[in-house]
Amino acid sequence: MAEVNNNQASGAATQSAAPGAAGAAGGAATTGAPADRPVKIIGIVCNWCSYAGADTAGVGRFKQPANLRLVRVPCTGRIDPLFALKAFEKGADGVLISGCHPGDCHYSEGNYYARRKFELAERMIHHLGIPKERFKWTWVSASEGQRWQKVVTEFVAGVEKLGPREGRAL
Amino acid sequence: MSRQDHIREFAAKALADGRVDYFIGWKQGHSSSEAIPAFVKEAAAVEELIWNPLCHHNLVTFLKRNMPDPTGAKIGVCVKGCDSRTLGALLQEELVDKDKLYVVGVPCDGIVDRRKLEKEFADEIVDIAFPEKGKVAATTRKGDRKEFAQDQVLLENCTRCRYPNPVYSDDTAGPLEIEPDRGLTAPDWSDIADYENLSDDDKQALLEKIYSTCVRCFACINVCPVCFCWDKCVNRSRQPELVSQKVGTKENLLFQMVHMFHVAGRCPSCGACDRACPVEIPLYLLHRKMNKEIYDMFGFEPGAKLDEKPVFQVFDLKDQFGD
Repeated sequence: MAEVNNNQASGAATQSAAPGAAGAAGGAATTGAPADRPVKIIGIVCNWCSYAGADTAGVGRFKQPANLRLVRVPCTGRIDPLFALKAFEKGADGVLISGCHPGDCHYSEGNYYARRKFELAERMIHHLGIPKERFKWTWVSASEGQRWQKVVTEFVAGVEKLGPREGRAL
Repeated sequence: MSRQDHIREFAAKALADGRVDYFIGWKQGHSSSEAIPAFVKEAAAVEELIWNPLCHHNLVTFLKRNMPDPTGAKIGVCVKGCDSRTLGALLQEELVDKDKLYVVGVPCDGIVDRRKLEKEFADEIVDIAFPEKGKVAATTRKGDRKEFAQDQVLLENCTRCRYPNPVYSDDTAGPLEIEPDRGLTAPDWSDIADYENLSDDDKQALLEKIYSTCVRCFACINVCPVCFCWDKCVNRSRQPELVSQKVGTKENLLFQMVHMFHVAGRCPSCGACDRACPVEIPLYLLHRKMNKEIYDMFGFEPGAKLDEKPVFQVFDLKDQFGD
């Protein structure tokens, strides 16, 4: 799988009330972890829009939670629903997928394929007993720094409401 | 003339004419209580081919890899309605060569679930007979004999079958079965309703219980006609690693997710994986749900129409997903 890029997230969100965002990293959180740890969320974003959108949010100094770790992929068409499941298996508390708006794909049509997959993935992930609030997919363009802030803030708030996932297989 | 005679006749003719190099059908297993796949290479040997409600194997599985095998071979194959949809899925993606195939369609009125019969006896079943249409008689080694109505011991899949007749075949073994009007009726998804009504926590708890017994033997994947990156399966891959070698429910579930998502849009729920599972994991819980959602999203039934493409290989600008 693609590398996890922590710098981007922490660069975009400098001050936030998420202690131990770096400390709690490293492996699946299953047993022994305190239930009141900050939630860990994996964001899988496309290089051209949402990653740049997150950067825009950072440059604009929009305050946002630091619970999100971004994985940068070339295009949402590259994202396999299994990436999200793998993140859940590894102990993520939520997964956020974002890319270019339909019509704006850098590769013309990657996100048209992707949205079909994500829609199925969302329904199936819920079928597996993972609450809807823990998985979200959306579109954020490179210029939408504020939208990125809004999406991340709302999503993290939703996941925080449910709290960290503990002792679950997926 | 029975369907069995039709199959033998078609097979003998195709083998004698040289239309096929070998013919895949069903034959009796170690006893008359079981059918197994048969590979017939000579017209003289077609007498071993059988057809009865025990012939549950989806023979399209043998076409999926290195087709044709050996290179250039022409293959004859028997398909039931559900099997023909898996063949349809392979044909939609041009993974098999129509010209190298001779397909005998077998209209089917339901396959008997041997596991249901086994649960009725303490002893091993050594003979299953069909004394008359709609009746199944099973006899054990100790001589216990019980008769069942065929409707009562059908596979779950068969009780809500929408495709009793093959959607694609060169020849048909006997008259067609009565079909439901698919334009008027939607598929019946009631088998997963109980699961769907559970709370999130209960779903997770149930899945963990079910999948804790999985031994990752790959039977479900090997037997699946549409799960065809068999020798390069990401489940076997250690670099990159998606599913770890660790023994655990986590890995088992992810293993099944790989299978499930990789056949999305191709799996017509033929049930071969359910029947192949040695620990009787109800895989249909996931696959049927996937098909339900795909039907809900696109009105698409995998493999049903040869001129369609699997929904995840194409897109439509008018799709209304996402915000």
